[in-house]
Amino acid sequence: MGQEAVNKVDTSPRTTGKHKQPKPIKHKKPKTITLNNGRTGWFFASPWIIGLFMFYILPLVASIYFSFTSYSILQPGEFIGFQNYKELIHDELFLKSIYNTVYFAVFFVPLSIISGVALAMMLNMKIKGMTIYRTIFFLPTLVPHVAIAVLWMWLLNPGFGLVNGFLDMIGIKGPAWLGSEEWAKPSLIFMSLWGIGQAVVIYLAGLGDISDEYYEAAEVDGASWFQKTFHITLPLLTPVIFFNLVMGVIGAFQQFTLPYTLTQGQGKPANSLTFYVMYLYDNGFKYFKMGYASAMAWILFVVIMILTILIFWSSKRWVHYQGK
Amino acid sequence: MNPTHVKKFKFTAAHICLIIASLFFLVPFIWMVSTSLKPIEQVFTFPPEWIPKPFEWENYSKAVEYVPFWKYLFNTSVITILSTMGVVLTCPLVAYSFAKLKWKGRNVLFAVTLAVMMIPAQVTMIPLFLLFNKLGWVGTSLPLIIPQFFGVPFYIFLLRQFFMGLPDSLREAAKMDGASELRVYWQIMLPLAKPAILAVGLFQLMASWTDFLGPLLYLTNEDSYTLSLALQQFQNKQGSEWSLMMAVSTLMTLPIIVLFFFLQKTFIKGITFSGIKG
Amino acid sequence: MVFLKGDKVKKVSLAIPLMLALALGACSNDGQSGEAKSENGVTTITFWHENTGVGEEAINAVVDAFNKKHEDIKVDAVYTAADESQNEKLLAAVAGGNPPDVSWFDRFKVGSWADQGALTDLTEYAKEDGVTKDTYYPFAWEEATYQDKLYAMPVDTDARMLFYNKDAFKDAGLDPENPPKTIAELEEAAEKLTIKDGNRFKRIGFIPWYNQGWLYSWGWSFGGEFFDKVAGKVTADDPKIVESLEWMTEYAKKYNVEDITGFTDSSGSGEMDPFLTGQLAMHIGGNWSISSYLKYKPDLNYGVTPIPTPTGDNFTSWSGGMAVVIPKGAPHPDEAWEFVKFFGSEEGQEIYNGKYKTLSVIDSVNEKLGYKDDPIFSKFINILPKSHNRPVIPEGELLWNELSNAVDNSIHGNGTPKELLEAVNKKVNAAIE
Repeated sequence: MGQEAVNKVDTSPRTTGKHKQPKPIKHKKPKTITLNNGRTGWFFASPWIIGLFMFYILPLVASIYFSFTSYSILQPGEFIGFQNYKELIHDELFLKSIYNTVYFAVFFVPLSIISGVALAMMLNMKIKGMTIYRTIFFLPTLVPHVAIAVLWMWLLNPGFGLVNGFLDMIGIKGPAWLGSEEWAKPSLIFMSLWGIGQAVVIYLAGLGDISDEYYEAAEVDGASWFQKTFHITLPLLTPVIFFNLVMGVIGAFQQFTLPYTLTQGQGKPANSLTFYVMYLYDNGFKYFKMGYASAMAWILFVVIMILTILIFWSSKRWVHYQGK
Repeated sequence: MNPTHVKKFKFTAAHICLIIASLFFLVPFIWMVSTSLKPIEQVFTFPPEWIPKPFEWENYSKAVEYVPFWKYLFNTSVITILSTMGVVLTCPLVAYSFAKLKWKGRNVLFAVTLAVMMIPAQVTMIPLFLLFNKLGWVGTSLPLIIPQFFGVPFYIFLLRQFFMGLPDSLREAAKMDGASELRVYWQIMLPLAKPAILAVGLFQLMASWTDFLGPLLYLTNEDSYTLSLALQQFQNKQGSEWSLMMAVSTLMTLPIIVLFFFLQKTFIKGITFSGIKG
Repeated sequence: MVFLKGDKVKKVSLAIPLMLALALGACSNDGQSGEAKSENGVTTITFWHENTGVGEEAINAVVDAFNKKHEDIKVDAVYTAADESQNEKLLAAVAGGNPPDVSWFDRFKVGSWADQGALTDLTEYAKEDGVTKDTYYPFAWEEATYQDKLYAMPVDTDARMLFYNKDAFKDAGLDPENPPKTIAELEEAAEKLTIKDGNRFKRIGFIPWYNQGWLYSWGWSFGGEFFDKVAGKVTADDPKIVESLEWMTEYAKKYNVEDITGFTDSSGSGEMDPFLTGQLAMHIGGNWSISSYLKYKPDLNYGVTPIPTPTGDNFTSWSGGMAVVIPKGAPHPDEAWEFVKFFGSEEGQEIYNGKYKTLSVIDSVNEKLGYKDDPIFSKFINILPKSHNRPVIPEGELLWNELSNAVDNSIHGNGTPKELLEAVNKKVNAAIE
């Protein structure tokens, strides 16, 4: 249904936007105003400028310096130039942790965006009882990490767990999940999807931001659900998708708490859950090699930075701001 | 199929999808609540039992006595309310400036704002602690509150995305009427961004409410501890108090659930532009 | 467009600093951990610990007893909510230069912290007050000592043994009063105890690496040695240790490792334990699980026996435990020592371990507490004099993680035991240099 309508109506957001863009008050556009708010801009941003330097830049600068030293938290250490960085190249576990982290990010980020958007759209339907559904999807983010870790082990235990019990009932021999090198990361990705409640809230807020007028106009034109989704909802949701993409990449590369709690910091089985920041943490806080850990942090920084620049660069093609 | 049937079918299908998905998302919560009501011998049985037998309502009164619950609740509330206020006051202002005002250095500063999130907190934790130590704030809740008043990059970025979506024409029109920039922000832009600001407030609220590492590092007097630290108190090498721990966890999540339940209408309803037309 | 009154804007801009002032006012300074608190000749010393429940009561009992005895020193015990394996709080406090006077401390970390100069050397204090190693189990004193200097006062200990389910033994036709002594007997019993139901296990006899089945437990039981004290080198590739890992790897192959792993116990305290629910008939466990079992399954019918060895004799175990230390930079080291000494004395030991049902580091105290008459506890007490401790080296954590990884990789078939352990040796010895 609705497929035949595709050819008939053009519901691309630009055209819909053009004749339906809300224009509250019309005045002649004075050129001076937009350019004249330099001082106000600084003034508005001033709390953050102070905060940024105090609470962020200062510690960051310290960590850059540490990355060139043998700093151990308890001892200032000595300046050793690029030695930490050189050593890292030969550190097998470091390389393994990169592989694990990239694997996780490659699968988790797109999956979380697709399922987050889909879920948010489902939760944005006008159906009775939606408030309750929305609350339910938000719940897992509220349960403490220890409880989540315990519960998952209970569900995914290969021999006795509920999941494999269920699979067994329908005649499938379930994998060993967290006990298996092959399945441990997919299991973790699956578990992490449980906590997308926060992203869903952001998408929901984004969906709420899309003016009803676009839909009304599309309705008048006889657009199908499919067209409305791909020509109005998704394009106008791009600023928020963009945000969740950037933050998702940052978050995925810094994945720490869940696998750390789950494996007691050991990254088992066979280091298949040793993620980058877990190894960084062990170096900094267990082996007292904070200099080395700082070097790891800055390598990670460069990687995330490059990815973010790429995302920003590409965003000009796919992110549509309603305000422009 | 006639249209009403299609509609009905769609609604039923939607409900079925939602219910199945809900079950998946409900599992951890049900487990938490069910554990909180179990007699201790029933917590780790096999096959697992989902319904406590008998319902041990006493776990709640026991849990509340096991730790100074009310005192910790008060401490947690103070920290949470103040830090959420800080975020809600500052972040939209800064985000607005990044999104709509043009000033020298804006893009560089915005890039730096994003960049500071790319360094794992594990390496800045100690330098930051030393800074607060120098300021004499260690042993107080100030390190958990004051930085929020100066802005948090995650929220600034999020709000900027929302402000970017607001039409420039609104701002220009108001400026034509002679409104100051602060007034434009306060009277036009801020109300429009309310859904996003509420979402940000909710995130900060949850972050402060459940923060463990911050209170662990900075609070040194047991009288000023928070609920997340209390959770740790149920853990013991010689046998943790799982049911009591889950009882406190449940109590901790309840206010947020209630808040979310009632607030969501506000931040999900979104903006109706017609409503603000003059 | 409806504009609000201009003064509302002003009100808000005024409100911001007001809120800040409120925030500052609401959070009065609690006083820092390390501040000098001498009043009327009474010195108050701060003692950080992370014990909870009965453990906290036990600590408070020791503190009360001490405070009663000393008019001029008052110990203030503060629960820190830290995790004994992840103590960022103490680390940050020491780095910031205001640590507590006394802190609870995992002896496993004495090597690394002492090497970093973060602990006060107690050697002179001990010598002056006649506190000597003869009072304590050899492993406990050794674990508190780094490079011949005493840095910590041991206060409790533990040991690893084979726990077996007596009901399962009866069920499988095994004698519950005659548990396996040799590795061969262990394998035989495990096979009899394992019940498979189609693809799925109903009961697993034994998983060597599960719970406390670390390489330390097996390596020492096979007669290996992990550290050469004279050369100051790690010897993880000791043929006996290699042999023990080869045995574990064989076992993993026999039962298909992936089918029987995934039991990664998160809490380490034994409640999540399939042994508790009867799904695992035997495992290597620690004495701290006794209380857990009593709490979560009071009717669990089990026995304990030393970890089997290839020959069926020379049983051993390894022990760790907690200590009290004086962090570097503590404001009142002299008064702190008085408390540390008291905690380590027979009197302090009796109060603490008696209340918490933990094992004392002093043999006579264990006897006094009646542990030697208890069917389960006595097994642990008997093994303690022969127990080992992990090498006290700054790289202790690294060695631990590397050994754990070696086992994990070996049972999953990523490399042979010999190669893996040689790699551990190389890596850790390189770090030592």
